[in-house]
Amino acid sequence: MRIQRLVSRSFVHFAVIAIAFLWTLPTVGVLVSSFRPENDVKNSGWWNALKHPFEESVWTFKNYADVISANGLGEAFVNTLVVTIPATILPITVAAFAAYAFAWMKFPGRDWLFAMVIGLMVVPLQVALIPILRLYTQTGIAGTFLGLWLAHTGFGLPLAIYLLYNYISQLPGDLIESAKIDGASDFTVFMRIVLPLSTPAIASFAIFQFLWIWNDLLVSLVFLGTNKVLTVKLSELTGSLGNKWHLLTAGAFVSMIVPLAVFFALQRYFVRGLLAGSVKG
Amino acid sequence: MKHRSFLLLLLISMLIAACGGSTTPTTAPTTAPAATATTETAAATEVPAATEVVATEAITGTEAPAATKTTDSTGSVPAVNPNYAELVRAEAGEFKGTKVSIFGLWVEAEDAAFNQTLAAFEARTGIDVQYEGSKDFETLIPVRAEGGNAPDIAGFSQPGLMATLARKNKLVDISSFIKPEDLQKDYIQSWIDLGSVDNTLYGVFFRASTKSIVWYPVPAFEEAGYTIPQTWDEMTALSDKMVADGNTPWCIGLEHGNVTGWVATDWMEDIMLRTASPETYDKWVSHEIPFNDPSVKNAAEIMGKIWFNEQYVAGGREGILTTAVADTQTPMFNADKPGCWLHRQAGWIPSFFPEGKKAGTDSNFFYLPPIDPALGKPVLGGGDVFAMFNDRPEVRAVLQYLASPESAKGWVEAGGFISPNQSVDLAWYGNDIDRRQAEIIKEATVFRFDASDLMPAEVGVGTFWKGMVDYVNNTDIDTVLTTIEESWPKN
Repeated sequence: MRIQRLVSRSFVHFAVIAIAFLWTLPTVGVLVSSFRPENDVKNSGWWNALKHPFEESVWTFKNYADVISANGLGEAFVNTLVVTIPATILPITVAAFAAYAFAWMKFPGRDWLFAMVIGLMVVPLQVALIPILRLYTQTGIAGTFLGLWLAHTGFGLPLAIYLLYNYISQLPGDLIESAKIDGASDFTVFMRIVLPLSTPAIASFAIFQFLWIWNDLLVSLVFLGTNKVLTVKLSELTGSLGNKWHLLTAGAFVSMIVPLAVFFALQRYFVRGLLAGSVKG
Repeated sequence: MKHRSFLLLLLISMLIAACGGSTTPTTAPTTAPAATATTETAAATEVPAATEVVATEAITGTEAPAATKTTDSTGSVPAVNPNYAELVRAEAGEFKGTKVSIFGLWVEAEDAAFNQTLAAFEARTGIDVQYEGSKDFETLIPVRAEGGNAPDIAGFSQPGLMATLARKNKLVDISSFIKPEDLQKDYIQSWIDLGSVDNTLYGVFFRASTKSIVWYPVPAFEEAGYTIPQTWDEMTALSDKMVADGNTPWCIGLEHGNVTGWVATDWMEDIMLRTASPETYDKWVSHEIPFNDPSVKNAAEIMGKIWFNEQYVAGGREGILTTAVADTQTPMFNADKPGCWLHRQAGWIPSFFPEGKKAGTDSNFFYLPPIDPALGKPVLGGGDVFAMFNDRPEVRAVLQYLASPESAKGWVEAGGFISPNQSVDLAWYGNDIDRRQAEIIKEATVFRFDASDLMPAEVGVGTFWKGMVDYVNNTDIDTVLTTIEESWPKN
């Protein structure tokens, strides 16, 4: 009996370790590559560096130096923050209100409206680029940060509403009803009860949205123009012909710093939030 | 190695210091030899290379050489074509304080070089030319044009894309202020034709490139006693000789992410120009003959004789499919012996040479030899064409300036740039690699633009690429060509 358990457990452990190893291998490769000299990167696989790990010529910080000293990288970093933070907060704010309304308020056409929001999730954002750009040009906000925030907000909303709705609608109805009986308005219920209880779901969606905007290239390329964000800048670092692609690995790690920090700061919510709405309580 | 690169750095920095400090253009030429003289004792062999150093560094994208030319390009006010009315007004300072936006696909080093070449013009006229470069130009420009957010001027590397936008009435007909007869003073007719869509002039070519060249490893090539082939048969004989010597002649690589396949279309086009008349080539481009015409099939078969000969190509078919375009030539520089000896690729390939390898000394090029002597010396090439979205006097002035030889001077001198403008003096070129390519373009009996860039996007940047990949992947040529033919847009 004990032996059987030991065998099955060690099997599980082995499988978990093997999967974890396979999963991290590419990232390790990128990390190793980012410290290798240009000629080595272009001529041989990253594992070759590990054959002689103690030789000085195998490693270099030049890629990082090149990336960090690149013209306009600091500005691009600031631009990305300017884009990402409002574009994360805006959709969450709107979505939380909307999710509450869909879950707990009764108004005509509610189901129909909700179905429409869900339907919007399957619309690829690419089809909206030209009409939105046209609208922006007419209203004069093309190429501004405001335009980009609104675009990101719009593209992020359907999923945000859906995720938060799933969570908020699972909150115990008694809680909300008793608050109502005590004379609380919808707004009070939302602010005092629903919002504090939904922190895990909100935090986990915040991570999603933050990462998605941080890594976005297309939307900012189309709507932002001359104010370049980090992803645009990094893609340019490789040169018109892509001849400096060895810088990409180092660039990837530089751009990863902030998302990693955000992820680790919010990760305990992340796991809880992933389960949002999956188990009936 | 370390010692050597230090010397190069020293040379370059001395050049910069010398030129930067000077106020008259004449100082530069006199200080340059002085700089080499001081290092003469330290590195006697480096001295003749001094000018080449600047040149090749420019190709690989260092900004330093561009900086050294500042004094040259600001030195004199060039003569303006009096028929370019807006340009004359601009030079008189009439448009001071206006802004003109240019959108193109040059980034980083090329972005800097383009800004550099316009700096003098901006200073003289007070027009602020705001250049924005993006690697996703081809995706963005149709979106921006449709969205009403187009730049004033855009630089296309695919005339087909320009034509698409012109037919959608997004572009300005420029023939009222850049008359074809004025343009003819500076450009041969084929460039003017290429800038026209349905007989209306929309674009002015600013940059040219040649693709009809073959790179080879100079030291190994000479050591093995090989000679540069003058005809296609000689080239085949040379390939056979290389195989007999235990070498692999050809470097061929197709893999290039989402644009994989274009290398093969370039080969096809070069062979088409060498086996069929230019008229047939034009008909092929405009779809007056079907894509599966015998002349096209013939070109594909000639290509296949080299490509699919496992002894000829490094890695065989699989090597062709999996080698990245950027790395194709890297094996040529292997320390023991070249992994492949011949690489048909355009003049920008030195940007991808391994660190420390120089165009001209480590690898040089020869003209891809003709097949049918009756067709002369055809050249396949490409180029960047500027077209206008917004019609304002200052935008006209900038476009007129870009059509004048002076606008190219700064970049031509800095290196890594070839002008299609025949009034650009060959003596301006900062290095031999550029100059020889410019010569090939100038001396071409037939010059034709990259066909895939002229065909409708569905074919030119779609099925033609894909079809070529299938061809390498053992699909028979009739099926490939018929599939491409069927994909040609119907109207």
